[in-house]
Amino acid sequence: MTATTGYGRALDLITRVRGVRGAMLVAGDDGLVVAEQLMEGIRGSAVAALAASLANRLRRAMDVAGVGGPMFWHLQGDQGALLVVPAASAMLVVAVTDADVNVGLVRLELLRAAEAVG
Amino acid sequence: MTARAVESWTLEPMNVFVHEAQVRLVLLMTPAGQVLAQSGFSRAVDVMSAAALGAAIMASTAEIAKQLRQPPFAALNHQGERHGIFLGGFTTGRGPVVALVVYDLDVSSLGLVQLFFEQFAEELRAASPKAPVPKQVLAADFERELTDSLNTLFGR
Amino acid sequence: MADDIKTLSTQLAQDPHSLVFLRLGELLRRKGQLDAAHRVARTGLERHPHNSDAHDLYARILADKHDYERAFDEWDMALRIAPNHTGALKGLAFLYFKVGDITQAEAHLEEARGVAPDDESIAQAIALVRGAVRAPAPAPAPADAAQPVAPTPAPPLRASTPAPEPMAEPTVPLEEARVFAGLEGAQEGLLLLDLAGRVLGGALKDPHGQDVTEAVAAYLAGVSQEAARTAKLLGLGSWSGLSAEGPTGHVYLTPPRADALLLVVRDRAVPLGRLAILAQRASHMARRWLEQQA
Repeated sequence: MTATTGYGRALDLITRVRGVRGAMLVAGDDGLVVAEQLMEGIRGSAVAALAASLANRLRRAMDVAGVGGPMFWHLQGDQGALLVVPAASAMLVVAVTDADVNVGLVRLELLRAAEAVG
Repeated sequence: MTARAVESWTLEPMNVFVHEAQVRLVLLMTPAGQVLAQSGFSRAVDVMSAAALGAAIMASTAEIAKQLRQPPFAALNHQGERHGIFLGGFTTGRGPVVALVVYDLDVSSLGLVQLFFEQFAEELRAASPKAPVPKQVLAADFERELTDSLNTLFGR
Repeated sequence: MADDIKTLSTQLAQDPHSLVFLRLGELLRRKGQLDAAHRVARTGLERHPHNSDAHDLYARILADKHDYERAFDEWDMALRIAPNHTGALKGLAFLYFKVGDITQAEAHLEEARGVAPDDESIAQAIALVRGAVRAPAPAPAPADAAQPVAPTPAPPLRASTPAPEPMAEPTVPLEEARVFAGLEGAQEGLLLLDLAGRVLGGALKDPHGQDVTEAVAAYLAGVSQEAARTAKLLGLGSWSGLSAEGPTGHVYLTPPRADALLLVVRDRAVPLGRLAILAQRASHMARRWLEQQA
């Protein structure tokens, strides 16, 4: 697990939630890892690239639908989930979780982290 | 999208890479600029230019790395306003290969290109001829080989 | 009323095979005890599966519970058993009205009036429907507590249903609207498409009322592919849903089948959890509709 100090604190709060496998900060435009705290076996580069790509596509679709860009999104799979909150600095705060995680709690921590990283 | 290969073992991995990373152009070549395959190019002259420039850039950066006493750069990326250009090298059973990739920032990203480039390199390594046939490329043959390659790549 | 319920409950306990469950179920429904009414009606229906009134009662309870899809099935079944069942005709009319299919709503009500010309509630319902045609946007029908002038999603419609002259152009093609018939927002916040981004049913309007169906569909195909790939490559298994909060609305995306995609959009007043439930319901209807098209 690696994370620069300031970002690390923000990610700490997310990874403390039961069922969270890892948390990351991702450059939204590039899909590159900025900071990460991940369990073994999770490929940070893959999470970053795919989360950013999905975020960009989702944003376009939501813009066209007239509801504005996503402030929080949740991809649900039968074996896990991906939860994302865009931060003001074009970064994404990302959590990879178990399928049965407390989504509400993770969402709150993601929003807090997004605020902290600006 | 047009995809052609001088060496057929490159075609399938290249098509997968183009699809997965959603890139616009791919040019596979040797460090000397000999083209192995291309995807997305519509004109032979563009392939020639890209191959020559790609090879030159790789040679230049390899020399810079050498001056710095560092191993050669694995990849270079240039990000413009609308497009990104990614240049990466890796080794296959056939020898070193260079890939030049151009992607639209609206559709893809450096992260996606990097992610699937690793897989691309692995698939090419797996698909490449296991026993490389060392072939001396003589300067006198270069022009003819390039022309042959272009004929194959554009079906002429 | 409590005494009535107690009396009827006792009667039913003494003779579980009697039809007293019809009165008991209706009393409970009127009193708002929907779960109890549901249990009574379902048990009665199990004992009397060919009784059209039992299906009608069950449909009314389901409609009160906003389970319009199953309500449609029950009213549809009641009509198959008793083609002149006015309760079922009114029920279906309500559901059609609710999704803006005024033509079908009126057709069912006219058919009901043909059966029961003296029924004031039918005449009122027809007036309401015709009033909605003149109004720009039909509001949900205020369902009569005892006999809701009915809702339902629309699988196979009866071929014998006479279609009167349309009084207003539907806002979307009829078949498209029917995919989600009975669900709120079927013509402005529900969209079913194939993986190439082609619209199969439903429609979508932005907050200004502008139709954005085709544009959103075109973008959604890419979102779906990316969601599937992301879930697969990150070891999340098969993706079952993608929900998102926007500044002015919430969206929920789910694949009803491997070859289709469903989008539900609602304003921010609808919590994401509730949106997920609505999406599941719509997904079920979409799946069934897709199977019928095969």
